[in-house]
Amino acid sequence: MSAELVRVKIDERDVHVPKGTGIVETALAAGIEIPVFCYEPRLGDPVGACRMCLVEVEGMPKLQTGCTLTAQDGMIVKTARTSEKAAAGQNGTLEFILVNHPLDCPVCDKGGECPLQDLTFRYGPGNTRMSYEKLTFEKPIPISPTISLDRERCILCYRCTRFSSDVSEDGQLVAANRGAMSVITTFEDVPYTGAFTGNVTELCPVGALLPTQYRFEGRPWEIVDVPTVCGLCPVGCNINATVRETKVKRILSRNHPEIDEGWICDKGRFAFTHLRAEDRLTQPLQRTRRHGLEEVTWEAAIDEAERLLRAAQGRIVTALSGSETVEQAYALGKLLRAGLGSHQAMLPEEVSGALDGYRLPLSAIRDADAVVVLGDVPVAERAPVVDLWIKSARRKGARILDSADEVGDAERVVLIWSGPGGRGGATVAKLAEKLTLAGREGCGAFYLPTTPNGRGVADAWAACCDDESDEPDSIGLLVVSGDEAAADPNVRALAEQAEATIVLSMFGGLSAGWADLVLPGTSYLERDGTFVNLEGRLQRLRATVTPPCPDELHWIAELAARFDVDVAPYAAAVFAEVSEKVYDGLSFGEVGESAPLRGYPDAAVRVDRPSLPESQAKPGKTEIRLVAYKPLFSGAAVERVTELQFQRPQPEVELSAEDAGWRNIETGDLVTVGSNGNAITLPARVNRRLGKGIARVAIEHANGLGGIVELARAAEEVSA
Amino acid sequence: MPEQKVLLAGTDKHDLTKLAEYQAIGGYGKGLERARAMTSEELIDELQRATLRGRGGAGFPMGRKASLIDRKSSKPKYLVVNADESEPGAFKDRQVMAEVPHRLIEGCLIAAHAIESTSVFIYIRGEYLTEYEILQGAVDEARAAGLFGGVEITVHRGAGAYICGEETALLESLEGKRGQPRPRPPFPPIQGLYYAPTQINNVCTIATVPTILTIGAEEFAKTGVPSSPGTAIFSISGNVVRPGNYELPLGTPMRELIYEHAGGIANGRELKAVIPGGSSVPALTPDQIDVPLDYDSLGAIGTFFGAASLIVVDDRCCMVQLALRSTKFYAHESCGKCTPCRVGTRWMVQILESIENGTATRADLDLLDSVGDNILGKVLCALGEFAVYPVASYLHKWRDEFVAHVEQGGCPFHGSSSLEGILAPSDQHAHAEVLV
Ligand SMILES: Cc1cc2nc3c(=O)[nH]c(=O)nc-3n(C[C@H](O)[C@H](O)[C@H](O)COP(=O)(O)O)c2cc1C
Ligand code: SF4
Ligand code: SF4
Ligand code: SF4
Ligand code: FES
Repeated sequence: MSAELVRVKIDERDVHVPKGTGIVETALAAGIEIPVFCYEPRLGDPVGACRMCLVEVEGMPKLQTGCTLTAQDGMIVKTARTSEKAAAGQNGTLEFILVNHPLDCPVCDKGGECPLQDLTFRYGPGNTRMSYEKLTFEKPIPISPTISLDRERCILCYRCTRFSSDVSEDGQLVAANRGAMSVITTFEDVPYTGAFTGNVTELCPVGALLPTQYRFEGRPWEIVDVPTVCGLCPVGCNINATVRETKVKRILSRNHPEIDEGWICDKGRFAFTHLRAEDRLTQPLQRTRRHGLEEVTWEAAIDEAERLLRAAQGRIVTALSGSETVEQAYALGKLLRAGLGSHQAMLPEEVSGALDGYRLPLSAIRDADAVVVLGDVPVAERAPVVDLWIKSARRKGARILDSADEVGDAERVVLIWSGPGGRGGATVAKLAEKLTLAGREGCGAFYLPTTPNGRGVADAWAACCDDESDEPDSIGLLVVSGDEAAADPNVRALAEQAEATIVLSMFGGLSAGWADLVLPGTSYLERDGTFVNLEGRLQRLRATVTPPCPDELHWIAELAARFDVDVAPYAAAVFAEVSEKVYDGLSFGEVGESAPLRGYPDAAVRVDRPSLPESQAKPGKTEIRLVAYKPLFSGAAVERVTELQFQRPQPEVELSAEDAGWRNIETGDLVTVGSNGNAITLPARVNRRLGKGIARVAIEHANGLGGIVELARAAEEVSA
Repeated sequence: MPEQKVLLAGTDKHDLTKLAEYQAIGGYGKGLERARAMTSEELIDELQRATLRGRGGAGFPMGRKASLIDRKSSKPKYLVVNADESEPGAFKDRQVMAEVPHRLIEGCLIAAHAIESTSVFIYIRGEYLTEYEILQGAVDEARAAGLFGGVEITVHRGAGAYICGEETALLESLEGKRGQPRPRPPFPPIQGLYYAPTQINNVCTIATVPTILTIGAEEFAKTGVPSSPGTAIFSISGNVVRPGNYELPLGTPMRELIYEHAGGIANGRELKAVIPGGSSVPALTPDQIDVPLDYDSLGAIGTFFGAASLIVVDDRCCMVQLALRSTKFYAHESCGKCTPCRVGTRWMVQILESIENGTATRADLDLLDSVGDNILGKVLCALGEFAVYPVASYLHKWRDEFVAHVEQGGCPFHGSSSLEGILAPSDQHAHAEVLV
């Protein structure tokens, strides 16, 4: 898209910009700052509310707001630097903004990183002419357990309400009342709930909306923001971890325009306190005959691990979580596969390289003409930020479809598979092939995995050894890597068959009953290494703080040495080995802080064989297929964050309007869902977007149910 | 000059809320037929030649506005009638809706034809319940009589916010959103209701259209003055003998309206000030009232035609009290979207209160002036300026009175001042006190 260039004169400087460029951006191109508060292009059309950006435009009698103007050829603009009128206007605005402001900077968490402070220092009048009573409000008000609102500090820029209505589209945050009494609020003071609420704390240009977890926790001069990547879902949002005195205090977005556009979900933002969970393990635990699990030293634990590994005589099965770094998975794989000939591993989901030919940055969704979303798991529960991209596509005019049949002659087509099933992307790759999307501009396909780094782990596991072996008849040792695997009922079932079990876990609660040896694990916020996100983008994780225990690579290397396997204890060195085979020899340093989407055409190792055939029983006429999905707000980390509990899904079952209709079910009615004698009774929610024959329930409320079920009104059951 | 009825023509002898009677005096007749026989271009051209200036306040020519409609747009075009009439002192639109609803409806049908629209919305002030019922009845009757020709007219009731009379806030409200103005550009003829090209006009503007089509633009333009042809209904209130609505040709001298039609100042008092366009415009002193009542003449002496609504103030009134009263209204009605108006109007109330109660200094008079200056020309919509215009005029033209407050440490009227009949607080705004 090459728009016509126009010439604009700003403060005597000529710039050439594409026609229609905002004047704020045009000025920036000329090296001139026009200060703004309400302007934030990611929130949609400008609103012209704060009046901070006043400029003089030749030919217009009144001052204009720079944020609402666009560049036209021959336009002559004077900012406060060269126009007295504009400077006076801007001073007036700043004076007004401060008239009712409490100026409690010394106790405001925003202090030191506050646009209002900054602009006041740079442009402000320096004193006040306000000698009357300021407006006061009760403060701070919790608008949710995670966000506090200080109405006195609010400058009513409407960024937060615009985010709520025009980006996350939840419509919960609103302005109430009028004039000076206007306040930001939620309807009837119901807590602000949803996947993305925390973003308003970063959008707010003052200390009005602040993360409650960070209240009085840090000052800009005593913190460091460490760039890393979120490891809680397959999106891999780029984040900064605010660290003070060796503790993570806050998570901020770190805008990657192709991945997250600066939005992160509340899990990524608020779940970090799991680092300090009460049951966090720092010492290894070993099962003793009389006392159950007991703390032992690391030396003793490594000795015991060595003993268990030898005793299994190669009959070792590894349960991976898909949240290990590429390097951890590789190190573990090298020890177990190359060293001990144990090749059997299970991942919680299938992984496939079939989509490699259809890769796109997530941001391409926004520019699509048609987005086909397939599958029955809500996108926001699997890969939250993908949901925001779909919403922005719809706002831009794209058709959002639930079947590829309706694509028609759309040029830019994006397919998204959101489970269940889907064979790691192989199914949607077939569809992409049928629609001949390969190589077409703006066309591509995504598969939303359930694990944050399943692809990276599978790649690494495949890269460490070429041999294969059959499944052992008996399991000598089960190695459970990570909390997701430890929490998986299938893994626990396997543990019952195993002669011994080693668990790598952050939290004691998960494996207390069944592990023989527990080795403390680290969090994604404590690891150096790489992750591969759902786009297939390799990204760099950084140890933002030192873990309270040795990191995995360290002791895996030590253990490997006892079996004469050479594993380096450093991520960079391990990565170098993996990269030779999988990432075309890319060096650790080249992965990048804001990683590009690369392809690896020369990779020797590629995961491309989904093992299981697609099996999806079609529900009969009166039957229902129950999709028990893993909610966004779930998992070992979320469970350990008290202030996130309000976000967990309600116990309810969603069903389509059609299925509800003939069963005479309305939202709120109790329904019974069951199969084979197992039944649950939950309130119903009718969801018009669900397809006929599908019902949905959060897995934690499913009681193990899934697949084809019977569903009926609970009252009928009783009377029948 | 006698009253000359164009908008209200026929009301003395007929009940024009009834379709049959309106048709009996030629309603939905020649004018509508002529319009429908024309192309959109021809009709807009006719309207442009009539130079019908918008009666809602700004005086922008209605035909020119129609010519700006982006008719090439693939979106539907909308006609929106602004019947939110909430300006203190204005009560002309309500008489049109209550007495000649069909003239407004016929105007809608013609204007819709001009902009190739089939959807018309009339946004009526929420408090106008009687007027709403009459208008809705007339709409139903005309629709049932098959007069709409494929056009649909929806009457939508507002919810009691002055700001929703501002055209873009009105559109937001109509869309079901919080009533707050939008930045312009884009202007409504390009991007209005639901992002589609939209024509917005005042009730009186649209209700004048049938006459233009019936008698022709040239004949219409013979009334009034060349720059502002036609008649206007003037609402006159305050301390006059016969407050009410008077329909007069534009250009009628203000003195004539006050002293002949409205019977002069009541109770034998002296004239002190006239706020000529509703409470939002700069006031005039007694020596300025020979001005002809039309847009350009009023503009030339530093005020506005506004809503053609005159508030006549006699010598009992303390101008500081009047300023305070007026500012409280605008502070209460400020939508809160833009900083200068939201903050500045409250600040002005505080300053005016301290002047009135005698705690202010001369510096506060300058501060009041300066706060006003920081609002003027810096706000998103004109409401913020409406708060300042009258107050600035009182401060400058009656400065002695403001100074007296400061020097005497209180109101020189010692409690004898009266806003009776002018902008006396109503119960409705009693809760505005909590604002400050
Ligand atoms: C605060 C504010 C309130 C307004 N209220 C009204 C109103 O009640 N009725 C009206 O017709 N115009 C009102 N206007 C003017 C409208 O914005 C708009 O100019 C008018 O409806 C256009 O119609 P016209 O061209 O026929 O005058 C108001 C403007 C402002 C800034
Ligand atoms: S709370 Fe913050 S973001 Fe929201 S309107 Fe107030 S200042 Fe703006
Ligand atoms: S969307 Fe995923 S990657 Fe992004 S912050 Fe949330 S959990 Fe982390
Ligand atoms: S001037 Fe007042 S009413 Fe108009 S947008 Fe600004 S705050 Fe709202
Ligand atoms: S930045 Fe332009 S009005 Fe707020």
